[in-house]
Amino acid sequence: MITVWHYLAVGAALFGLGLVGFLTRRNFITMFLCAEMMLQGVVLNLLAFGKMHGDLGGQVFGLFIVTVAACEAGLALALFLTLYRRGKTLDSGAWQSIREAKLPASVDVDPLRQTREIPDPVLTPAGRRPARTEDEVRV
Amino acid sequence: MTAPFALAPVAPLAAAQLLGAVILGTLGLSLLLPRPRGRSVALGVFLTLAAGVVTVGFIATTFGGRLATDDLPALVEQGLFWLFSITALVFAVVLVVQSNPARGAIAFAFVVLSTCGLFLLLAAPFLMAATVIIYAGAIVVTFLFVLMLSNAKGPSDENDRSREPLLGSLAGLAFAGLVFLTLSLSAGRAATTSEKLLPAAAIRPEDKAELLAAAAELKEAADPATEKHRVGSLGYSAHTRLTGVVGAATGEFVQNSLGRTLQDRLRLAETDFRTAEIIAQADELKLLKKAASDALDNAILDPNPDVAPLRTKLAELREKTLLLAGRGELPARNVTAVGHALYSEYLIAVELAGTLLLVATIGAVAIANRKGVTA
Repeated sequence: MITVWHYLAVGAALFGLGLVGFLTRRNFITMFLCAEMMLQGVVLNLLAFGKMHGDLGGQVFGLFIVTVAACEAGLALALFLTLYRRGKTLDSGAWQSIREAKLPASVDVDPLRQTREIPDPVLTPAGRRPARTEDEVRV
Repeated sequence: MTAPFALAPVAPLAAAQLLGAVILGTLGLSLLLPRPRGRSVALGVFLTLAAGVVTVGFIATTFGGRLATDDLPALVEQGLFWLFSITALVFAVVLVVQSNPARGAIAFAFVVLSTCGLFLLLAAPFLMAATVIIYAGAIVVTFLFVLMLSNAKGPSDENDRSREPLLGSLAGLAFAGLVFLTLSLSAGRAATTSEKLLPAAAIRPEDKAELLAAAAELKEAADPATEKHRVGSLGYSAHTRLTGVVGAATGEFVQNSLGRTLQDRLRLAETDFRTAEIIAQADELKLLKKAASDALDNAILDPNPDVAPLRTKLAELREKTLLLAGRGELPARNVTAVGHALYSEYLIAVELAGTLLLVATIGAVAIANRKGVTA
């Protein structure tokens, strides 16, 4: 039997995983997607409670959360665009100059592992180039 | 008598499972998160899978995970629930640990689709459709941004480094573990109360069909065009139908009552407090039915019957029958009901949400459209 607790557990797990992503990842877009995932977990909770109480309040709240998420997406992407124009990067670590006073700066010490660049494939020409029959074309 | 907010004691097995899941998940995620040194995909996948298995075990032992092999619809519901939730969580992990944001967006699309399946199981088809449409658009736009803004030449700071993988995973998963612990405490307390189960279908389709048939007969009986002598027979026929579903009123003698009535079945499975309301409604209908049948009897005994008040009574009975038949159809009339709720109860909230959207649009245009800020 699937109870309301099962849905609450799935919602909590989605929220926790989204929190992990939001805290650890540095790409703005990934952070944004993780925040959206946390919202999904919240909507799941609301719907489970709505079903448990047999009324539509949960679904209506879910709709409002989707609305707020749409606003958030619009603003967040506009903000990313502006930040990218200024800093030419999506790295949130590039903006640590606006951190709180007295906090130490975080410095990346480990060098990034350079991957071997794979060149674009070049096809070897096969077969013979057909003879041009210009006279016939020019009829 | 226990205190109203007394919590059940923590089961040692559940606590051990939770602790194990949090530790395994933290180690697994911190190994999987992108970083220049010390990333181990194989070990990380193994540990994360182990954490997932332990979590499923925790949920199954604490909240109940026995497969309902004797009840096919319940079995299908369980299967779909586990399918959707496990898919959602697996792709959530992929989104968190994937270093390529474009692949992360695809994983997020799968997370959204799986949670939409769960929405459907929670009787919210409109919200499911809205989420699919809106998030499909959102993901396409995100994709566009990824393609536009990412320079895919070699490893980059933002994609191949994480901020504090171990502590970050511990923070998120410890939070989820605490929520799980609270849930298990509350679930143990609620095990005997009506808070545990999601409501089953309060009125079965057969009951509904029977109620609707009775309502149709009552409508015909209450129709002024129906001949006088047929009012009685139609009313009695509807009466018999209703007896099968809602039961006989006090003082009525019914030979060979058909099976269990709605009230009896609901009282047997009294799992949510909607049940009490439906039982009360059915009781009311029972009394009304008795009154209508008494009126029918009197009218037939009368040598020169006046059917007008009888028709009014039957019409009233029909209204109540239809109301009762309409209970428990949360999924079927979802869009109607959501629309009605939105534009009656939540009208101010709808206006505010619209204003918020407008303000957000203006703000987004204002932010993104600044010329000359490039350094």
